[in-house]
Amino acid sequence: MNKSSSTPWPARVPVLIAGGGPVGMTLAALLARYGIASLVIEADDGYCAGSRAICMSRRSQEILGWVGADRPLVDKGLSWVGGRSYFRDREVLHFQMPSEPTQRYAPMVNIQQYYAEEYAHKAALAQGGLVDLRWSSKVSAVRPQTDGAQVDVQAADGTHTVQADWVVACDGGRSTVREQLGLQLEGTQYEGKYVIVDVVQKTKREVERPAWFDPPSNPGSTILMHRQPDDVWRIDYQVRDDEDPAEAVKPENVLPRVQSHLSMIGENEPWEPLWISIYNAKCLTLPSYRHGRVLFAGDAGHLVPIFGVRGLNSGLDDAGNLAWKLALVQQGRAADSLLDSYSSERVHATRENIAYGAKSTEFMAPPDYGFKLLREAALRLTTENPAVSSLVNPRQSTPVEYVNSPLNLSDQESAFKAGARAGMPAPEALLRASGAHSHLTSHFGAGFVLFYFARQPGLPAALEALATPDVAGPAALKVICIASQGQANANTLIDELGQAHERYDAEEGTVYLVRPDGYVMGRWREGTAADVQVALKRLTGQPCAA
Amino acid sequence: MTESQLDQTYTALAQATARVGEAKAPLFLATLSLALMTRTDAAEALALIAQAERLANT
Repeated sequence: MNKSSSTPWPARVPVLIAGGGPVGMTLAALLARYGIASLVIEADDGYCAGSRAICMSRRSQEILGWVGADRPLVDKGLSWVGGRSYFRDREVLHFQMPSEPTQRYAPMVNIQQYYAEEYAHKAALAQGGLVDLRWSSKVSAVRPQTDGAQVDVQAADGTHTVQADWVVACDGGRSTVREQLGLQLEGTQYEGKYVIVDVVQKTKREVERPAWFDPPSNPGSTILMHRQPDDVWRIDYQVRDDEDPAEAVKPENVLPRVQSHLSMIGENEPWEPLWISIYNAKCLTLPSYRHGRVLFAGDAGHLVPIFGVRGLNSGLDDAGNLAWKLALVQQGRAADSLLDSYSSERVHATRENIAYGAKSTEFMAPPDYGFKLLREAALRLTTENPAVSSLVNPRQSTPVEYVNSPLNLSDQESAFKAGARAGMPAPEALLRASGAHSHLTSHFGAGFVLFYFARQPGLPAALEALATPDVAGPAALKVICIASQGQANANTLIDELGQAHERYDAEEGTVYLVRPDGYVMGRWREGTAADVQVALKRLTGQPCAA
Repeated sequence: MTESQLDQTYTALAQATARVGEAKAPLFLATLSLALMTRTDAAEALALIAQAERLANT
């Protein structure tokens, strides 16, 4: 429950989460779903001001779905699938993100960050009193110990010392926890600056992401626009190199540029500014997100460029990756070395995100003479030669494959020609369940899931016996038969569209083991109960997940 | 050329252009263009020259 300031402070907690932003709040909700209590420390007195991160990827919607926060997000948000880029007044690129009529979620939903925080918070509260969120309180000191950490928290009623088994730093780019541990982000920062401005204005324009290079409204600049709920536009524009950042964000310098652009695109309803900020691209990360009993997630561990929307989306993926591992370790079901895989997988993801983000930044905010000149050439050439239009593509966020993760069971990979390798996100598919339709990804986010592919319904008894219907949390194993035809029932889904068999490169007897976070752990052409038991034992030290 | 190969070569060309610097960039790019021209035929090279000249004036 949301405690008032008069509620006594706990002396000891299993998990202390520094920062109640979208990543910290989602992590608290996920941990609670897995049965782990947490204390969330948030410096602000409520949800964030300003819209901040606005583009929620399909993967983020899926993760929020694990705690039931997806529905309000999708209902309130604006879904979109593509965008257009213009050079001056000519369209040079129309991109579409992967999308299909049977999909569970749109590839992207635009929504103000404070709504995402609110929905994650409500989801946390709905998990049964395991989340203790303290507003207006701030971590002031962290003293790591071998079996936990001592944390000093400054609150309105004084400083409190809390003993935590685990501390997760979700306290953003200027993380106090990171500073307390004497750690520094490593990488590069780009000089090029963008002003970010939200304005309220009614519009009937299609929800997509338009971008203009050198538009007649603001010659020489680059402008990006996104629609948000409540009649809000997000407008990002590139600031000239010789402009003083402090001057650039002053309304008298921002508003004429916005007016000029809205006029150019024919948006003539009255408007007013809501929020103005300035941004420069950063490609920074900690080399490790685990330091003993202290873990880092979201901006506290890494800062990636906004182009391609990998910031908050990668933070939510951190939370999704960490929650089940931390729960298994805290419940004594896995060795704490499982958390090393959190760090190695998510550091790898950050490096991928940085590689894509750097490419986007080099185009959107060219860092030197070479990139400036090449962009001028590429934009001109793309008006006559579509072969170079991919250079203009914003390279939107997609889930990262955990290449070489210690959790991947790769020995059977040579038996497959396609489908999802160990370490890849398990593909989506729409199937028929008893009574309704069922998306495969809707079975993720709880415990492990085993898929057994067959022509007709019917699980081998030994595989069926692996299921642990009485176990809750990430240690549970759900066993599902995916049959090409026949009748669906409680543990049988019918692949009437053939999507699952195709996307999993499945034949009769193919078995996939999927982690609680929806990543493929291993797959077998003819998987046996012993294969699965060995795989789970490696992870949890026990023959069954439970 | 695949999209990722285009990305890779675009980045390499931008970085090399920055390294040689603004003053020598025309010479660098002329040398590169000449070398690439020898990989194609005259008709295509002349068409690309005409296109680049047209685009440079936009």
